[in-house]
Amino acid sequence: MVDLIVFLTLLALGYFFGRLAESRHYRSIIRREKALARIPAIASKIPSPDLHPQQTVLVTGSVVISVDYFKRFLAGLRNLVGGRLKSYESLVDRARREAILRMKDQARIKGASLVFNVKLETSSISQGRRENSIGSVEVLAYGTAFIN
Amino acid sequence: MEYSNPHIPEGINTSKEHPLKEFLLLTVGVFGTLAIVLFVLALIADKIAHYLPYSIEQDSQMFVMGSSDSNKPIVKYLQGLADKISQSQNLPEEMKITVHYSDDDTVNAYATLGGNVIFFKGLLENLPNENALSMVMAHEIAHIKHRHPIRSLGSGVVVGLVVSIISSSIGDDIVAQFIGTTGSVTSFKFSREHETEADSTAIDSVKALYGHLNGADDLFLIFKELDGDSLTPEFLSTHPATDSRLTHIQQLKTTSDKTQITPLPEGFAAWLENLNNDHTEGGKQPENLIH
Repeated sequence: MVDLIVFLTLLALGYFFGRLAESRHYRSIIRREKALARIPAIASKIPSPDLHPQQTVLVTGSVVISVDYFKRFLAGLRNLVGGRLKSYESLVDRARREAILRMKDQARIKGASLVFNVKLETSSISQGRRENSIGSVEVLAYGTAFIN
Repeated sequence: MEYSNPHIPEGINTSKEHPLKEFLLLTVGVFGTLAIVLFVLALIADKIAHYLPYSIEQDSQMFVMGSSDSNKPIVKYLQGLADKISQSQNLPEEMKITVHYSDDDTVNAYATLGGNVIFFKGLLENLPNENALSMVMAHEIAHIKHRHPIRSLGSGVVVGLVVSIISSSIGDDIVAQFIGTTGSVTSFKFSREHETEADSTAIDSVKALYGHLNGADDLFLIFKELDGDSLTPEFLSTHPATDSRLTHIQQLKTTSDKTQITPLPEGFAAWLENLNNDHTEGGKQPENLIH
């Protein structure tokens, strides 16, 4: 009985705080994406020959986002039956976009107008299979900022 | 050449579906299926165990504790009562009830394999009259009569096995914990059915023995008093709600004439104290207890 109450409380906490954090994060992401739209992040390796940057610099942006109890429970059940891990999709989407934004922010501080050869790396941060193991995702975005 | 990042619409890499919808579908689907599977398996085990010959559990001393030395007045008295009730319940010849008394403060009594019934001091010192004691005794003997100990063991082992196989192979602790709860809920369902069946047989035999049910309901009144208002919902309990057990027995009562109540024998309270230093440790108590 106590176990069940604890479980339901954790689930409810995970759901409400997870949802709150996610919607706030998305609002912030969309706002900052608009603001930083003037610094495009380009995946291409080869810049156009008519670009003559005075300086190039490596810019990085990394973020670690934790999964909440509710998402983990959903994912655990999803593991049994298969299908889209919807609860994790929004998590990694946020992480990717946040990492790119942070990278662009570095570029902005450097006075860059463009980030070239952008790459993304993902790694999961977890500690084994213990009940209280940390489940979180790290996304690192990096590229070459062109400073005119 | 102009470079730009066009605005990409939302909701391509993520799902717009409300997470609670997925949650509801998955929990109902996964745990509903699991509960049905466990229920069917437990039912099969319960039925098969019922057909096992009594002789296989006859000499079992599993989960037995306390003393069955008939030189002790309390054991002698309880055994006499057990024999009387066994007779009124028409127990088959080979089902011999052996009463054990444990000098422990646990407010409980239970029946286990091999016709062993264990009474704790904690329960006996709370009983106000012989009618209430007979109700407990008749309830425990009814468990033996209906083969509940071996049936619970059978279905319990099957449910436990399936739950542990599934939870150890999925490797997710949160889900594993929930699967464990589903297993318990299934086992509790059987346990409650056994309790109700035992109550009903006990009521019949107490009525046959005394001609009335006065005092027999005192047992549940005591539970009510000791427990207070339980907050645990019935589906998470091994026993039916005390209130419904109490209402059931009180509905069957024809009179409430207190003079018909049989008192406990003189010296009963002293007998309870007279036993010491003969604990036969039988390990942990099993689940199928009277209370």
